[in-house]
Amino acid sequence: MSDVNVLIVFYSRYGTAERIALAAGVGAIQARANIRLRRVADHADAKTIDATPAWRENLDRMNRDYVAPRPADPQWADVIVMATPLESHAEIESFCSSLRAIAPMTGKIAAPLALGDEESALGPIYAAAACAGMVVVPAKMDSGDPIAAAREYGQRITEMARSLKQRSISR
Amino acid sequence: MLILRKAEDRGHTDLGWLDSYHTFSFGGYHDPKHMGFRALRVLNDDRVAAGKGFGAHGHRDMEILSYVLEGGLAHKDSMGEQHVLGPNEVQAMSAGSGVIHSEFNASATSPTHFLQIWIVPAVEDLKPTYQQFAYASAEKRGALRLIAGPDKTSSPPAAVIHQDARMYAAVLGPGDSVDYSIRPGRHAWVQCATGAIDVNGLALKQGDGLAVSDESALRLRGSNGRDAELLLFDLA
Repeated sequence: MSDVNVLIVFYSRYGTAERIALAAGVGAIQARANIRLRRVADHADAKTIDATPAWRENLDRMNRDYVAPRPADPQWADVIVMATPLESHAEIESFCSSLRAIAPMTGKIAAPLALGDEESALGPIYAAAACAGMVVVPAKMDSGDPIAAAREYGQRITEMARSLKQRSISR
Repeated sequence: MLILRKAEDRGHTDLGWLDSYHTFSFGGYHDPKHMGFRALRVLNDDRVAAGKGFGAHGHRDMEILSYVLEGGLAHKDSMGEQHVLGPNEVQAMSAGSGVIHSEFNASATSPTHFLQIWIVPAVEDLKPTYQQFAYASAEKRGALRLIAGPDKTSSPPAAVIHQDARMYAAVLGPGDSVDYSIRPGRHAWVQCATGAIDVNGLALKQGDGLAVSDESALRLRGSNGRDAELLLFDLA
């Protein structure tokens, strides 16, 4: 059994953020983490979703593949990846803001992840994670291959969590 | 030496949509006396309700074989593989350095029954791979049909796994028998998947397993009024 637990929470409508979340998950496994994958629910109502067939189709598929995060998940995690589209990040922002009320988050790694280099859009997520006492590790997603970058990020945050845990044990 | 692992002594998980029996420790079932046999680490006997299944989850450094007895199993993974597996097909996934996959009952109306087998690979950190192929049901009727093994050029073809282990399947009618020679120093595991069989005079019913060591030969016989299906693992 691995010593590092990585919770990958994502919000995705059409599968793009899901793909980078999965890549981060594979990277975490490559770095020998235990992982859990969770999708946060849409804020939009069913009527709004149904109006866009591709959204509905992807949502039905993802609801089969993933469950929503449960309170035990952030408690279990050493690292929480939060993957989101830049243009619709309210769902992940709400999830991140809720963490403090679920469990003590101090010292856990928060890993916000989005496709693109508009990091300012992730500002509210960085702030909410930092307020919860988490160590925020920004991703570098401005390289050519976002899947490879997300995979490398999954490895990096796992190794960082391992290093932090070992340091805390040796004290 | 033959050691019987009775079906009723296996671990059991009932989640409503999943009815799973664990020959070896798995998930919430942990018994230090049953952590596997040689490189065979997991042998789960799973029944999955219509439309239900295992959501996306990760694996590392494991040879994962799925053997469908009834129904269909829809597979999707982070390598981009997306397939439906049925009876008389073989699916082998080398998780290697890391893979995420999901498995669902492919039917919205009928349950599926399959065995999931994990074999510990001899080498870690391999590049993940996926294999699936079909064979004729006649190939395992009254005969041991190689399903997976380490040889890349086996004929007829079988899934390649990264371990000195071979998995065979057979369907035996009442009175059918097949013999299998075990090389010195090697071991075997026989799993009665359906029906009932007799192994060197020992009766196995559906779900029973048999650990075999220090034996040179096995005689496997169909012993009931209907067909029996079995898996045989030849292990270092």
